[in-house]
Amino acid sequence: MSHDDILPEDGEAQAQTETPGLESTLEIRTPEEWAEALAKAEQKAQENWDKALRTQADLENLKRRSEKDLQNAHRFGIEKFARELLPVADSLELGLSVETANSPDIQKLREGMELTLKQLRSSLEKFNVVAVDPEGEKFNPERHQAMAMQPTDEAEPHTVLKVYQKGYLISDRLLRPAMVVVAQDIGS
Amino acid sequence: MSRIIGIDLGTTNSCVAILEGGKPRVIENSEGARTTPSIVAFTPDNEVLVGQSAKRQAITNPKNTLYAVKRLIGRRFKDAEVQKDLHLVPFQIVGADNGDAWIEANGKKMAPPEVSARVLMKLKKDAEAFLGEEITEAVITVPAYFNDSQRQATKDAGRIAGLEVKRIINEPTAAAMAFGLDRKQGDMKVAVYDLGGGTFDVSIIEIAEVDGEHQFEVLSTNGDTHLGGEDFDLRIIDWLCEEFKKESGIDLHSDPLALQRLKEAAEKAKIELSSSQQTDINLPYVTADASGPKHLNLKLTRAKLESLVEDLVFRTRGPCETAIKDSGLKASEIDEIILVGGQSRMPKVQEIVTEIFGKEPRKDVNADEAVALGAAIQGGVLGGQVKDVLLLDVTPLSLGIETLGGVMTKLIEKNTTIPTKTGQVFSTADDNQTAVTIHVLQGEREMSKDNKSLGRFDLADIPPSPRGMPQIEVTFDIDANGILHVSAKDKATQKEQSIRITASSGLSDDEIKRMVQDAELHAEEDKKLHELVQARNQADSLIHASQKTVSELGDGVEAAEKSQIEDAIKALKEAMNSDDKTLIDQKTEQLSEASQKLAERLYAQKGAEGMGANESAAESGHQGTQADDIVDAEFEEVKDDKK
Repeated sequence: MSHDDILPEDGEAQAQTETPGLESTLEIRTPEEWAEALAKAEQKAQENWDKALRTQADLENLKRRSEKDLQNAHRFGIEKFARELLPVADSLELGLSVETANSPDIQKLREGMELTLKQLRSSLEKFNVVAVDPEGEKFNPERHQAMAMQPTDEAEPHTVLKVYQKGYLISDRLLRPAMVVVAQDIGS
Repeated sequence: MSRIIGIDLGTTNSCVAILEGGKPRVIENSEGARTTPSIVAFTPDNEVLVGQSAKRQAITNPKNTLYAVKRLIGRRFKDAEVQKDLHLVPFQIVGADNGDAWIEANGKKMAPPEVSARVLMKLKKDAEAFLGEEITEAVITVPAYFNDSQRQATKDAGRIAGLEVKRIINEPTAAAMAFGLDRKQGDMKVAVYDLGGGTFDVSIIEIAEVDGEHQFEVLSTNGDTHLGGEDFDLRIIDWLCEEFKKESGIDLHSDPLALQRLKEAAEKAKIELSSSQQTDINLPYVTADASGPKHLNLKLTRAKLESLVEDLVFRTRGPCETAIKDSGLKASEIDEIILVGGQSRMPKVQEIVTEIFGKEPRKDVNADEAVALGAAIQGGVLGGQVKDVLLLDVTPLSLGIETLGGVMTKLIEKNTTIPTKTGQVFSTADDNQTAVTIHVLQGEREMSKDNKSLGRFDLADIPPSPRGMPQIEVTFDIDANGILHVSAKDKATQKEQSIRITASSGLSDDEIKRMVQDAELHAEEDKKLHELVQARNQADSLIHASQKTVSELGDGVEAAEKSQIEDAIKALKEAMNSDDKTLIDQKTEQLSEASQKLAERLYAQKGAEGMGANESAAESGHQGTQADDIVDAEFEEVKDDKK
């Protein structure tokens, strides 16, 4: 729809949208030539349709995967950070496991450490990071790392005899395996 | 048609990747890790474990935990390499009836391809879980020095795993593809320096362009099959134990838990020292003796680390020099050097590479994943994904229109892939404005006058209404041929005007480069100008709103108040004419305060009359009624010839 007041700034400015693509030369053709041209055009149209569908499908797959990636990013985004914090919990536990004198000073220190450890644990739990303490359980390589085997008759073979270091899960996925000693049959 | 995954089947670790959206990406396994240990274990319960879980139970099951099978695949039992391995591994290596190297575990004899197939099966399964579709085809990489028998055996492993191996490609070739070296024109000679966890490989390859296709030829290979990152870690562990012994008299080598913690700390420290000059190794309660707990707290500097591993780094020089010699080239004739393998990240290693080859290596692709990424690219090419994708263009410069204050408002950002279409709703700048001018611009500067004008047109017959009320939808549509269509439509009347701009009215490559650079140079100034314009626009809106409030209140305004506001408006209008943003902001504040009191009263009044319109008070006291994404466009009356 042209309009009188349009300022024709450069030669390209036009008042209407053109339909691109209809640049067919309107020369006279034989029916055979028309048939061939039509067949070619139909084939091209079909190919383009396929491409369009495929692109659409790829796009949808990509969207779906992006959503999943994003979900995972939220869930596991703190994974690295959580993993770095675990040695802090380890050190506190190791410190508390040491035999100490009963003096009031030491007791106060121990109490402080216990409360600090409790604090750390509850912060971790808030973000779905929970400890794995499998003493006495059957050895499970999905969650535990065997450090050594120890022959013993005090426990079933292939059960966890001792836990050197607790393992941790984040949102039910393994964050760090528990380091354990596995009971071995005395006979073997 | 299913997609073809790319697999780096490594001696210690494997990695799987796929081409997605034209870019290769690594697929995480079911545990969320990007690499999977190449370890297979047969448990007493007849379970088959693959990857990390197999690694974790190795100590409880040494005879049936199989690793480094790549050293055996496709080899004869009598091979020197196999005989060497025989004494190094806890599981049984035996000779098959036909003389091949086989493994005896879980009560039976099995061929190495069967074992490697288990790893491939896990990678296949994890890839399927990630992609949500069945995978039946793969590209697998092998070292450049693998012979026919080893390559065939690797293919067999794939077949056993349910994968049709479309191609076996060399690891250095895959790495070169990941670095995009096969997409350059002409011939190229590339050195691939691969220092991984357990092995070192150096290869010189030639990429030749033949009839538009790229062909790869391996000119020479060399390496050291027992040199890798783990050896570097060992040096650090030994040093830590030594230092600790000096201080405490205890040898940590005999404490398995301490050793494990040392191993992790050593690897972490080594990695940190690639980007820092020193690091702390802090292990409280590392062990205990009769006198109580002991702590380890040592500082390791980069210089000290380098001295600890110097000889290991130098050990890579020999193989490199031999490889260069065997290729028949001089070091200076090698065009690119690429780094593969985690250990190649160490600065000292990169230094020696630069020294040996006389130029700096490329490290822009993730060294641990380059091989898998390259295999994925090859998979994409074979699957027709790369050919089918039209290399889409991007708009080299941003496109937009001129809006209130002579500012350019971008609608399409530069480097947007085309074809693309986007729209935004604009409005009028003045009350009763009945036409708008759409001035189409191309460029990165803030002010319209600094950008290139592509064209302009007007949309008229807009029904008279207060400023900011009409809704003019401006659409930018670039088709696959790069032709830009700009249209403006009045949502109320449905009237529409448009303009068609072809590429020829755009800019040359040089001009584009210059414009982008200019924008960066002037970024500061432009920002200030933009802020000034914004301040002016805000002032303008406020003036309008205040005037409106005053007229609405009518008699509710005392004479003193009215003159106070009028004075403030006058002062503000004067300030707007200056270039002083601070002054404008100041005067805007003053007017805002003055009119706010009035607006509060207006709404208190209305509130008393039973219309609790509390939220509007905030609006009319300040900016102007604008919906979030409506921008005031500088629209001129058609008859004016401002510009």
